[in-house]
Amino acid sequence: MLHIRTPLRVVAILSVLAIVGAACSNDDEGGGGGATGSTGAAVDCTTAEFGCVEVAAGAPIQIGTLLAIEGDTKNLGLDSQYGVRLAVDYLDGQFDATDGQILGHDVELVNENDGCNAEDGQKGATTLAANPDIVGVIGTSCSSASLGVADKIFSDKGIVTISPSATNPALTTAGTHQPYYFRTAHNDRIQAAVVADFAYGQKDAKTAVTIHDESPYTQGLTDGFKANFESQGGTVDSEEAINSADKDFKSLLEKIAQNAPDVIYAPDFNPACALIAKQKATVSGLENTLLMGSDGCSDATYTEIAGPAADGVFLSGPDLTAFSGGDFYKNDFLPAYEDQFGSKPISVFHAHAFDAFNVLAQAIEESAVQNEDGSLSIGREALKDAVQNTSDYQGVIGTITCTPDGDCATQVTIGVYEVPDVGFLDPNAKPVFTETKTLDEVA
Amino acid sequence: MRRIVLRTAVRAGAIAGIAVCFVSIVGLLERLAELPIIATTITMGDVLILLPAAAASWVAASPRVIAGERRSPDLSTAAVAGLVTGVTGAAIVTGALAIVSWLGVETVRRVFIAVSPELIDILRFGQSAVVGTVILVASSAVVGLAFASLRITPPDVRRPVVGGLFAIVVAALLNRVIEPAFDQLNVEKDWLYAINHGLTWVGAIVVFVLVAGAVRLHLGSKLRAILRPEPSPAGVDDGPEGSGRRDPFAGPLGRRGVTLIAWAVIALLLAVLPFLVGTVVSRILGSVGIFLLLGLGLNIVVGYAGLLDLGYVAFFAVGAYFTAILTGGQRLTAAGYQPPAFGASLPFYVALPIVVAIAALIGVLIGAPVLRLRGDYLAIVTLGFGEIARVLFGSVWLQNLFGGALGMSKITTAEIPGIPLHFQSDARHFYYLVLAFCLLAIFVSWRLQWSRIGRAWNAMREDEQVADAMGISTTRYKLLAFAIGGAVGSLGGALFAVSLGSLTIASFKILVSITALAVIILGGLGSIPGVIVGALVLIGLPGLLTQFEDYRLLIYGAVLIAIMLLRPQGLVPNVRRSRELHEDERLQDQWAEHALETESVEAPLPTGGAIE
Amino acid sequence: MANDAVPASAGGSLGWLERLPVRRIILTVLTVVLVVVVGTGIVKTLTLSGTEHLDWSFWANLLVIGIALGAVYALIALGYTLVYGILRMINFAHGEVFMMGAFASFFFAAAYAQSGFLNTNPFAAMGVLFLTAILVSVGVAVLLERVAYRPLRNAPRLVPLITAIGASLFLQNTAQGMFGSQTRGYPRPEILEGTIKIGKVSFDKIDPVVIVTSIVVMVLLELFVKRTKTGKAMRAVAQDREIASLMGIDVDRVVVITFVIGGVLAGIAGVLYAMTFGQVGATMGFLPGIAAFTAAVLGGIGSIPGAALGGLILGVAESVGPYMLLSGLHVPSPFELKGVITFSILVLVLIFRPGGLLGTGEAEKV
Repeated sequence: MLHIRTPLRVVAILSVLAIVGAACSNDDEGGGGGATGSTGAAVDCTTAEFGCVEVAAGAPIQIGTLLAIEGDTKNLGLDSQYGVRLAVDYLDGQFDATDGQILGHDVELVNENDGCNAEDGQKGATTLAANPDIVGVIGTSCSSASLGVADKIFSDKGIVTISPSATNPALTTAGTHQPYYFRTAHNDRIQAAVVADFAYGQKDAKTAVTIHDESPYTQGLTDGFKANFESQGGTVDSEEAINSADKDFKSLLEKIAQNAPDVIYAPDFNPACALIAKQKATVSGLENTLLMGSDGCSDATYTEIAGPAADGVFLSGPDLTAFSGGDFYKNDFLPAYEDQFGSKPISVFHAHAFDAFNVLAQAIEESAVQNEDGSLSIGREALKDAVQNTSDYQGVIGTITCTPDGDCATQVTIGVYEVPDVGFLDPNAKPVFTETKTLDEVA
Repeated sequence: MRRIVLRTAVRAGAIAGIAVCFVSIVGLLERLAELPIIATTITMGDVLILLPAAAASWVAASPRVIAGERRSPDLSTAAVAGLVTGVTGAAIVTGALAIVSWLGVETVRRVFIAVSPELIDILRFGQSAVVGTVILVASSAVVGLAFASLRITPPDVRRPVVGGLFAIVVAALLNRVIEPAFDQLNVEKDWLYAINHGLTWVGAIVVFVLVAGAVRLHLGSKLRAILRPEPSPAGVDDGPEGSGRRDPFAGPLGRRGVTLIAWAVIALLLAVLPFLVGTVVSRILGSVGIFLLLGLGLNIVVGYAGLLDLGYVAFFAVGAYFTAILTGGQRLTAAGYQPPAFGASLPFYVALPIVVAIAALIGVLIGAPVLRLRGDYLAIVTLGFGEIARVLFGSVWLQNLFGGALGMSKITTAEIPGIPLHFQSDARHFYYLVLAFCLLAIFVSWRLQWSRIGRAWNAMREDEQVADAMGISTTRYKLLAFAIGGAVGSLGGALFAVSLGSLTIASFKILVSITALAVIILGGLGSIPGVIVGALVLIGLPGLLTQFEDYRLLIYGAVLIAIMLLRPQGLVPNVRRSRELHEDERLQDQWAEHALETESVEAPLPTGGAIE
Repeated sequence: MANDAVPASAGGSLGWLERLPVRRIILTVLTVVLVVVVGTGIVKTLTLSGTEHLDWSFWANLLVIGIALGAVYALIALGYTLVYGILRMINFAHGEVFMMGAFASFFFAAAYAQSGFLNTNPFAAMGVLFLTAILVSVGVAVLLERVAYRPLRNAPRLVPLITAIGASLFLQNTAQGMFGSQTRGYPRPEILEGTIKIGKVSFDKIDPVVIVTSIVVMVLLELFVKRTKTGKAMRAVAQDREIASLMGIDVDRVVVITFVIGGVLAGIAGVLYAMTFGQVGATMGFLPGIAAFTAAVLGGIGSIPGAALGGLILGVAESVGPYMLLSGLHVPSPFELKGVITFSILVLVLIFRPGGLLGTGEAEKV
């Protein structure tokens, strides 16, 4: 046995030494993008915060997407992803199913799933953040994946993030806002205000009950609704909570029916949203109570599950007919969408995603340094500043001017649609009520 | 014999074919198809298509007991069996493809969303219908032939070959771990890995030779022998505090030295691992560690004490949320961040003992009502407790404490003053924190196993009424199990909170309990190395291979079923449990051996009990 | 029980601390606390006045909802209880058996809804739906038994339990892989759409259908088990498997028949559930499965009337319970706490009657 042991011991000692030697020599992986400005270009990559991304000559610019492309909210995520893909196509100025380029480099999309929840958001964000070639990210779809999760992970690495549909107010409030996080999605303070205006002003509702689920998005909306509704003189009788996985809301609705309010505001996700509509019809006492929801309900699953009970429900969301780029939207964008992805848009944030990508692309063009050898050096902080300084950019959804707080869509038009004339079934559907507000005007 | 073997061959082949169809229809094949194994030639898709045929023909050519005698098929029988298996399997797949074509891909797709032209292309190896089918049948036949023939070779030949092939696939799939390691050590890796992250042909051959050689030289068992002080030939594996009959460390000269060095190597490897493998893999290792903690805790409850707890996520949540409350975590509300109604801003290491104590207390509270319940009932009630915990932590009622739907944030980073380790922001540093706690938990589990408490649990688990009659207070020990198990689990929760910095109730679903259970089942109930293996396989692999991530739960389910059917004692079994599960077989073997020795069928009937 | 206090025969004299019957003390305290809390809650709820007052019609409506829900739970619970009675194992995957049947029928339902057949020939259409669901559910159940449970029939208790959990995960995710992760809308024929109002009490038109179907099925099942030869064989196997096989009963066949019956029940329940809630999804079986199992245990697992009773109690508890108990105590949003209430009821029943309400009243022997 001795002759086996000795070589083994030697091997063991040698490997220990080797590992120790290696560990001591290569200790830091260089967490900040590791660019060295090799051609002596003007970007000071070594001292800039978070360094630069180097895109070699001929290599593609990698842009990540972190969207809800799986699960019950998959329509929302896919719809946004399609918007991004159309934007990449349109870089050459035409919707021709061939991608364009930024500064002579192709664009490569790295797609991850945010699952519309914090855990998947964290996973996807960490994966993307660990890739030193990712220049920026379009995401997340849902506020729950952003808030305190993806926004922090990306900001800690200096990766610019622009969300097309995460609308929770806290994402752009001082104290919770992360510096590298922006969005072309509207801020739900505006949406909540519009819903309250509609309920109180248009429908003469004086009493309301709100129903939120376990996600930050819904609670942000119900809180905002309460603030706006009550400031106008209404009262919110109670704020109920459900679980997004619940199927049976009848007892809750019965309880609400005891003191039937004028309006129930349930800005939840599908299928809960649809089930509430469907079950409300079976509860006596609620016949005269309006039901309202928001963009969380806005995909085809809603009408599929709720059936005829959905008619007459009011859903708020971006007013797709009020885009300042409306002609372009109707005549170029929508046909291209249908052409490349086989159907009309399946949710309502595709144009926001389109604009988000273009804002990022424009910022890259402004802040990147083209080196002599054909490579690009993109300073992360410079990129963020370029995005933040975006001003009067004419996007599809409207004029985009980004603010240090992260909101880029400062003037937003929210529409209230009546099912079945809804934007997610027909982008040309007209809302029954529409209001344009800026962030300063709302509570 | 031939007829029996052929019948098995057909049946096995049919099952193989169905397996391929299944893998295709759930979308797994399409997802994994592009993963390269060897250069651009062999992909995971090819492996998935041919693996069932290989396994089936392996089984078909296995030795059987015929007329009382254990016989192996001869070469020609095996070869034919292999061919039959391969062809049958391919026939089934071809048949399925034909049906799909006849019905129309789009029609089928309306029901089975994974069926697409791309999928069909994969099954036809990228060729036209005719050529593809021919390739499918031919390759299945060849693979069947090869593996059936391999099966009848002596173990010294077939084990290394299988080991080598398996290693090729594993090495290719683990490129995300190995490649960064090579980079860090400044070692050339181009000979091993191709640009597309699959192995090169040269690399594949090298891996095959190395591993086959290692298996042939029985390096695996030798390594295990070195790591564990070898029990004496007739000894019982009783652990260091055994019957006291012999000192495990007094062996041949130098044995102790080798063992220490081996452990030192492992320790050093663990110490430098994060810098070898990079940030992403370190984050995965962090998750593995957290589930390891959960597994170790659940192992105490289920593995040691035999109490089936399906609601273990409750302790995980307790650890996470109470850590948040006690270390200055803030609730997210409409009005921004606010402190919880009751809270404190203690440093992490001061708050931790309090959290653990709370978890232990809750363990007692959960355990008290269920003391009299057995097995199935216990399972469902603990499941209920897990759900209750989740609902309560996320409820509106308690949202002033726990943040309700919006959760909590700004949880401590657990920094140790003076030590420049940033646990929350750098996954590589967090690894060390997790490692420290895992070692602690492993130590605690290990000591418990061989302590008086551990013995009481064993007795209780084997036969509760007898234990009771012997004076062991089952009440006390059950409560102790819940308390200690819960305390360990809460450590996992605390670390989880620190790693994310924020909490939402979505992370505490029933799935966590089931995953923890799967981890310890796979590894082996009551076995500490088993829990480690289980965590690495079930958490680490899907983490590394994102294509598997989507099918993680499917694989968990399949693993649980397979383990229970084939090897209920787990991958790295605890010797004692293994005996329990195979008690009948063991007693029969004992009786048979005794009968052979004494050459008499008048052998006394074996006594029950695990004594040797 | 004997293990509450250390037996005096352990030698030496014992302090009063060791003689304390710990368990009995905890239980008594628990009971008292519960009675006080529950009592106060109920009393305060019923005496709420003014805008908070809850009308009798509120409770009546909740009761109807609870009964309908309970009927569905009962149907599924029957499947659990039958299998448990025969095999002494919990078929954790029964919820998935239910889901597969419902999903299979969905494809026909969607097609019929689109073509209009669902509304023109509702009975024929629904017949097809039930048939499909039953066939698929039975298929899955039998497959489960053959592949996963039969080899483990004599294994220690823990093993088939874990296999069942694995099977549940596996089936859920297989469905997800095959059919997609999204929830799909399940249509209802027009004749079943809408509500019926009697005075202030209103309910969904489908609720009476569900209740009647469940009752009919349960009565048929009870007759089958009590009056037919196969039923007798089932009861024999449930009592003692070994002796039954010695008496000439083909145990394997009986087990398969049990799973078949469970599958039939699950299939029927699947279609009814899908229609009531208007949706199917890969994960739809998980929570009803747990709820139904809770119901079966509550009523006394192994007992058919027990499953029915358990289902009823659970359904009503889920609907009425949270409001009855918590409104008076001004707990916000009692609706989300219904899981807490149902599981608490389960725990309490099992503490005081470990065999369930209609069970033997004794702790299950290992």
